[in-house]
Order: sequence, then C-alpha cells, then structure tokens
Amino acid sequence: MSAPVVQTRRRKLPSPDGDRFVYVLAVPVVLVLLFLVVIPMATTAVTSAGGNGFAANYGSLFGGSSGQALLLSLVSSLLSVFFCGLLGTLLAVLLHRFDFPGRRALSVFAVLPMALPPLIGAVSFVLLYSETGILPRTLSALLGIDAASTSVGGLAGVVLVHAFTMYPYFYLSVSAALAGMDGSLEEAATNLGAGRVRVWRTVLLPMLTPALVSGALLTFMMSMASFTAPQLYNVQTLTMEIVSARTSGNAALAAAQSTALSVVSIVFLLSMRWYQGRRVHRSLSKGTPSARRAPASAGAKFAAALGSLLLTVVLLAPVLVIVLVSFSVDGAWTTQVLPTEYTLDNYLEIFSEPQSLLPISVSVQTSLLATAFAIVVGAAAAWVVARWRKPGRGLLDVVIMLPWALPGTVIGVNLVTAFNEPGVGNLGLTLVGTLWILPVAYFVRFVPLVFRSTSASLDQLDPALEEAARNLGAGPLRVLRTVTLPLVMRGVLAGALLAFVDGVGEYVASVVIYPPGLPPMSVEIYNRIYSSEFGTAAAYGALQIVLILIVLAVSNRLGQGPRQKRSAAAPAVVPTA
Amino acid sequence: MRRILSLITGMTLFAGLTAGCGLNAAGGDDGLTIYTARDKALAESVVKDFEEANPEYKGKVRLLTLGAQEAAERISAERGRPQADIWWGGSSQQLDHAANDGVLAPVPDQVRDRIPERYRDEQGRWVGEMILAEVVFYNDQMLTPEQAPKDWDDLIKPEFKDKIIVRDVAASGTMRSIYSAMISRNSTPDNPEPGYEWLRQLDANTKVYAANPTDLYLRIQRQEAPISVWNLQDVMLQQKKSGAPFKPVATTSGVPQLIDGVAKVKDGPNGAAADAFLDFLLSVDEQKKLGEEHFQIPTVEGAGEPSWLAPLGLHEMPVDWELVGGKESEWIAHWSDRIKNQN
Repeated sequence: MSAPVVQTRRRKLPSPDGDRFVYVLAVPVVLVLLFLVVIPMATTAVTSAGGNGFAANYGSLFGGSSGQALLLSLVSSLLSVFFCGLLGTLLAVLLHRFDFPGRRALSVFAVLPMALPPLIGAVSFVLLYSETGILPRTLSALLGIDAASTSVGGLAGVVLVHAFTMYPYFYLSVSAALAGMDGSLEEAATNLGAGRVRVWRTVLLPMLTPALVSGALLTFMMSMASFTAPQLYNVQTLTMEIVSARTSGNAALAAAQSTALSVVSIVFLLSMRWYQGRRVHRSLSKGTPSARRAPASAGAKFAAALGSLLLTVVLLAPVLVIVLVSFSVDGAWTTQVLPTEYTLDNYLEIFSEPQSLLPISVSVQTSLLATAFAIVVGAAAAWVVARWRKPGRGLLDVVIMLPWALPGTVIGVNLVTAFNEPGVGNLGLTLVGTLWILPVAYFVRFVPLVFRSTSASLDQLDPALEEAARNLGAGPLRVLRTVTLPLVMRGVLAGALLAFVDGVGEYVASVVIYPPGLPPMSVEIYNRIYSSEFGTAAAYGALQIVLILIVLAVSNRLGQGPRQKRSAAAPAVVPTA
Repeated sequence: MRRILSLITGMTLFAGLTAGCGLNAAGGDDGLTIYTARDKALAESVVKDFEEANPEYKGKVRLLTLGAQEAAERISAERGRPQADIWWGGSSQQLDHAANDGVLAPVPDQVRDRIPERYRDEQGRWVGEMILAEVVFYNDQMLTPEQAPKDWDDLIKPEFKDKIIVRDVAASGTMRSIYSAMISRNSTPDNPEPGYEWLRQLDANTKVYAANPTDLYLRIQRQEAPISVWNLQDVMLQQKKSGAPFKPVATTSGVPQLIDGVAKVKDGPNGAAADAFLDFLLSVDEQKKLGEEHFQIPTVEGAGEPSWLAPLGLHEMPVDWELVGGKESEWIAHWSDRIKNQN
C-alpha cells in the first residue's frame, strides 16, 4: 500500500519555470528576516566577545556553574519535550479520533493553559503543588500525609509547569495533522488486514512525524529559554545564569551565555531536521479525514465523559487558582487549604480606574498586528524553505527559528539596541519609544510559530500536487491560492492562534521595550505583583484568560464553518480540528 | 477558505486602524517620564503632589514601574534615544555603574547641595534619596519575640534549620548587598573565607530561595517558614498595606544601611522638567512626608528622623561599602557557584 500513496523518500522533480517563483518570493522574506533578526542578533554576538574577552566568556561554559546550568537546562528541556509530547499527542488523539460527551468543551479548554500569564501562572502552580499548596494541604488534612512528602519542587516542579503549559505546541500541531490526514490510508491498511496497533505504527505515526517534530522543536526551544519556572523553583538553569550575569553588569558574559543557548537550540533544530528528512511521509491525496469513533456502550460513554472531566480539571487547575485568588482578599489566605474571605474589590479596583483597560487594548492590538504579519511572512517562509532546492535551506530555517530559542530579554535588548537611533543597519528607522516596537518584537518572537506549524503541514503535502496543477496550466500564484494554501491553511491557523495567544501574554521582551505610559497586559500584571497587589494582578490575569477563551471559542467556531455544513463528519480547523 | 481569508484581512485592518488612532505613543517634548523601582502607591502619591505644586505638568507625568536592574538595563539600551528623564530608585552600586557608563547627567547644584557628601556621587551624577536598612524579620504568628533570632549570627544556629526563606540572591540588588555585607563583616579584606563559611551555614539553614519579593512575602505569610531578611521599608509597607504579620528585629550587631538614590538621565527629552521634579522630590517637606507615610529614612539635611523609626531601636552596622562595591561580583559569583544549595 505504500508505493503510490505514501512515499518513503523525497521525490526528485524537474525544475520548471514556476520554481523561479520560490526565489522571487524568497527575496522579501530574507530581507525582512535580515533586517529584524540577523542584524540585531549579530550585535549580540559581537557583544559576547567584549568584557573579559571571548575566551573567558565562552570558557566559563565548560565546567563551572555555567556548564552545570547548561546541562540542567538541557535535561529539563528534554524532559519537558517528553512529557509535553505525551500529554499533547494523547489529548489530540483523544479529541480527534473519538466522540464522547464533553469533547467540544474539552477541546476549547485544552489550549487554555497556554493563556496563563507567565509570572502569575507559575505562582499558581506553587499555590497548587508546593508544600503549602492546595493539593498537599488537602492530602494532609484528609489523609494525614505529611505535606512535604507530596509537594513538588525543584527540577520536577519546572518540568511540571512546562508540561502543563507547553503541551499545546504538540496538541495543536498533532491536531492539525490528524485533521489533514487522509482517512482512506487508514482504511486501506485496515482492509489489507492490519491490526489497530500496526496501523498506528506503520501509517498514522509516520504521518504525524512532521507535527511531532514541530512540537518537539517549539517545546525544546521554549524550555531552553524559559525563565519564570526555573526561577520560581530555584533551579539554576542557563537563563538564570544569564540574568545573574546581567545583574552583575557583565553584559558580555550574558551575551556569550545567550549565544551558547541559541547554539544548543540550533543543534537540536538541525538534528530534528535531519531526522525528519530521513523519513519523509507524504500524502498524495487531498485529505478526506477519517470519521470520529463514538464509544460503543453507555458505560464506555460515561467513562469517557468522566475521564475528560477529570482531565479538564487537572489541566485547568492552575487557571482556576488564578480565578480563586482574584476573588480573595490579599493576605487573608495563609494556612487554610482554600481562601476563607472572598471579595469583588479586585475587579472593582480595575474597572474603577480610568486607565485600567488600556493595557488590554495595547496587548490585543499589537498582537493582532504582529500575528497578521507573522502569517504572511511565516507562511511564505515555510513555503520557500519547503520548496528550496539550492543550498542555504537549513540556514533560512535556522534564521527564522532563532528568536524562539533566545530568552525574551535578549530579543528585547537586541531590538532596542538596533532601533534606538537612525543608522545604516536599520535604514534610519527608530522604533524605541513608539508603539510600533511592540508588534515588531512580537512578530520576531512568534513568527517561528506560524513558520513551524505551516512547515509541518507542508511536509505532509507532496509537491507533485502543485506539479500537477502547474502541468494543467495554472500559474504559480494560482497554484498557491487554489492548491497549496487550502491544504496547509490548518497549519497556518494553528500557528497564528499560538502566535496571538503568546503575544497577548508576552512579558519578558515587552518589559524591556514597551513605551512609557502604554504597558501591555502582562507588564501591568507584573507591575501589580511588584507592588504586592496580588489580588488585582490575579484579576487582570483572569481577564486575560477570559479574553483568550473568547478567541479560542471564536476560532473553534470559525473552523467548523461552511465545511461542517457539507459533511457532518468533517472536523473543525482549530483547535478542535 | 475565503471566509478565513476575509476574516484575517478584517482583523489586520482593524488592528492597523486602531493602532493608528486609538493609542497615542508616549514620549515627546513635553511632560516628564520617570522610570521607577519605588513602590507604585508611593510613586503615584509623589507624582500627585508634584503636579499640584507644578500645575504646568498636570497630567503629563508618565511613570514606568520596574525593577531597579530593569531600569538600569533599559536606560543603558536606550542611550541612543533616551526615553526617560528620571531614574528613581536604585542602589548606589547600580547608579555608580550607570554613571560610569555615561548615561546619567548631574543633578542641579541646589539639589545636590541638600544631600550630605556621604550619601551621593562625588560628581553629583546621582544623589541618595533615602537610607535603606537591611533587617532580619519574622512572621509573628509563628514565633514569639523570645523565639525569634536576636542577631544575624543567630541565623546560622542549628535551631533555625529550615526556618529561613531568602529572596534569590544573584538577581536582587538588595540581597547582593546584604550577603556582601555579611561577608565583609566576617572577613578580612584579603580573605573572604570566613564570610563564605558563614554563608555556607546560612545556606544549610535556608529552606528555599524565593523567586521574587512577592514570592517571599507569600511564602512567609503562608507559613512555609518564619524568618527572612529584607529591606525595612518593604517589610513595613507590607505590614501597613496588607496587614502582613511581619516583625523586624533590632539585631544586636546592627543593621547594614544602604543608600538608595535617584538620578537624571543624560539627554532625556525633558531636562527642565527633570530638574523641577528632583527639586520637588528632594525638598524637605516631601521627604518628611515620605518618611512618615511610606517608611523612608531621608538623606536630605533637615528632614529629620521619622517618628516610627526610634521605637524600632535599630542601629547601624558598620560596613565597608567601598570594599563591597569592588568585590561584590566576585563574592556573589562564588556564592552562586560554590555555596548555594550545596549544604
């Protein structure tokens, strides 16, 4: 069954005139990336040779605390990838292959943990699972188990936070892949006598490879650059070292450590590319998705519903904690399992201040703008990379992914340095102090999401489909519009959704660049935490979560769109897919 | 497909339009921009007073609340096109660093002259606004005054094992100063080893390192452990604002005292407004008010001592801050590499 439909290696195609279009499209994409990514990044690399000198800065990475920190970052990132992959893939399969009561609701909530505002989100994990957290205190109150023995801390805590907040990178890309997958392949395999396990092993999982690679890359790089969770659980990762080097005023050492961080991520990126390149699995047909299976008996239905309810509660627990804190009185929740005094004051305080809605408006508008550009550039870049036949393909990939691997502070400082006075490198453009710097930063930071998830969709698609259209006389633009785009749209949208949601919650880069008087939401939340207005910070967090919930619900509805009318079994795009 | 594309186009247009007209970027040639690490309520009350005294700036003062280190980084990164006029709230080490980096301008002479020499930069590139006392404090719902530590050296006694939470040291200016003060107090200038040994024993007694000040307050309030070290002003503000059960200790060997200051950013957009603000902030009346209401210990001559201070019975611990300034990076790096979490 594999011969005509699933290819096991890349097909060599002749290079017709239409291929020139790839290189024409590549020019603006490369220019944008050069301007916004490469030049600012080069500035950082140059900085890393200063201070105590190149040798001393990079030498500290071998042995010593920086070396250990690098190792710790690596271990926590690999563990995070493993658990996120497990959780995200299982959830995607559960929600897209089976039909059971509560599935629709769960599919909206499944992406919500990503909306957790970074700082307060991590605090909510502490309030849940630390020694004085809800869970250990409940267990100790009910069963008399010592709270210290059931608490989560250290490396396990970091991996816990990562697993529960980053699994959507797997969930969304696997969902998009499952939705775009051709159900006839599976049927064919089953008809040929393959058992369920064998179908998964030989047909479904290989087809999911691009999606899994994309999820693994995003998760790995994000864990490498993660700062809030290691700080809260006091795990000395490389990002912690970077901050401490900066605090000591050693910007050169910090730049060297940032460079090392991105090198590790690039190595991971290249090895994943190599792995994926060895096993290309594409579908030649236009996806006719397989139908969702409903549990047979009433008992199974009940079990599925109960299971999904439990799962929802576990996944949503951190979100619920934020909501709980937003209704409780500051400082009143001390030794009790749950807060004892409740109030509406935190919300009243936000809504009674004239300027309080400004941060929401700043975040929404700048993220929308950034997402729009990310869709255009990210999708175009993904297509260019996928169809590029000359050397330099990997380089382009690395350039786009680079900002994702770097801590947000580094991106922020890069941008401020590159755009704070008119010069040759920035074409006389100054962004510092204007609102434009926020969308630019979000664009740079989140274009990898659209790129990666579009690439995953493209990798599932055989170029022969485009070839066929061209042979039938369609011009390159028409091929893109009528063949390629419709087939990869799910991937583009999954990436765009991630980009928007991450943009609304972005903190680390924003805090370095936001113009005075126009704080984005996450910065406002941080400022409130900083001035110990924990309740109102949580109230802002809750508003942010509601906002993102609305976006998710709308995109979910949107995905069902007209397609749903034509065929009841067809899946939605995002995130139900 | 078409529906999705039209939606995307619509959203882009919406974002473009509203970004164009709905939000006005701050900055520009009038008004005043302040980067501050001070407590938000405190900073807002000072700005309100300032606007009342100088009506021409009414509604034109922009406050950016951020950590002192973030303020330092931002000001340094923006050197080509400075956005801030004032940097309000930073340790003398951080301010010195920025001054030597060439991003600070001298404060007006009449303001500088109000501050005694020991509390400011020689060239007037920054001035101390207040003295920050670094104290031991405890949760008085968990310990009685008799059970609480009486001196810094009590912190390393076996009875306080796992009873101490410390704000993570390397990333915090306050903590770096406290730990450096402890090293300098226990060591001779050329041999920090006894100081390291003291911190080793403190690390053994430390239950956990808190990620940030709020995390620290929460953990102590939630009774994870009763004892910590932090600056007196924040401890008192927490007590007043949210009724936190925090009690500072008048340690027998004294409390290290840091200078926390304010500076004018070089080539900031509104130099005249910056001068006016500094003149106001460092006036005797405003400093007296801050002292009484926000637990500051003023440096300005004539502002006197706030009334709440004497009953606490604190006295200064002698610390060679010059030595600390020179050695801090080395000492804290050693602590991070060799001592933290290893005992």
